[in-house]
Amino acid sequence: MGIFDKKDDTPPDSRPDFSNVSSGGSSTAPGAPQPTGTLGSGRTYVVVKGDSLSKIAKREYGDANKWRTIYEANKDLINDPDLIYPGQELKVPGA
Amino acid sequence: MHSRLFWTLILALTLAAGLSSACTRSGDNPGTTGTTGTSVGVRVSRIDMGRSLTADKTINDKTDSFKPNDTIYASIATEGTAATATLKARWTYQDGQAVNESTQTIAPTGDARTEFHVSKPDGWPTGKYKLEIFLNGFSAATKDFEVER
Repeated sequence: MGIFDKKDDTPPDSRPDFSNVSSGGSSTAPGAPQPTGTLGSGRTYVVVKGDSLSKIAKREYGDANKWRTIYEANKDLINDPDLIYPGQELKVPGA
Repeated sequence: MHSRLFWTLILALTLAAGLSSACTRSGDNPGTTGTTGTSVGVRVSRIDMGRSLTADKTINDKTDSFKPNDTIYASIATEGTAATATLKARWTYQDGQAVNESTQTIAPTGDARTEFHVSKPDGWPTGKYKLEIFLNGFSAATKDFEVER
């Protein structure tokens, strides 16, 4: 068998897959809608790994106790306020 | 012989002019947005990176070195006023492979901080990365960082 008969000699594709990367953002500047667009008077936030409603509330409002505001605005998406998932787009009212 | 020297000098001057032009086009330093649109006077003044944010969108723990499971935050400081300005974050890996791109439209009325963050559920590949920030379509600043085990 010659070396050209070995089909597994082809080097594997070493380029990593970044298709599952989640991103988000926010700003202190006024009138700064989120990258995903605006909804009503608030904006949207894309959940990333490690997020919780209280962490998002702390980041968006500066007060972790305002998590319920986000929960109430997203009851159609969130069954359990302790369970949110990376990639979910949450409405953040009046942030 | 003099003729040969003359043409050698012309060639050298032409090459030097070309190199000088290429160097001034580098986008590595924060800059202004130029003279177009409503963003005149707005500039990116600083990029900080880290693993967490404060409420005012500054970085809590500045670093350029991350672990595979980190959420990576970049805080972009801008100065100036504009009715609208678009900030785009382009994240690339190693030789320029696209990682992510996202955009925010802001209406700054002075100093402002805009944050972008990225995460990867199955962990970041180790290696060198680059974040490039565009302001109204023009490269305004870049930041290199790496992911290590």
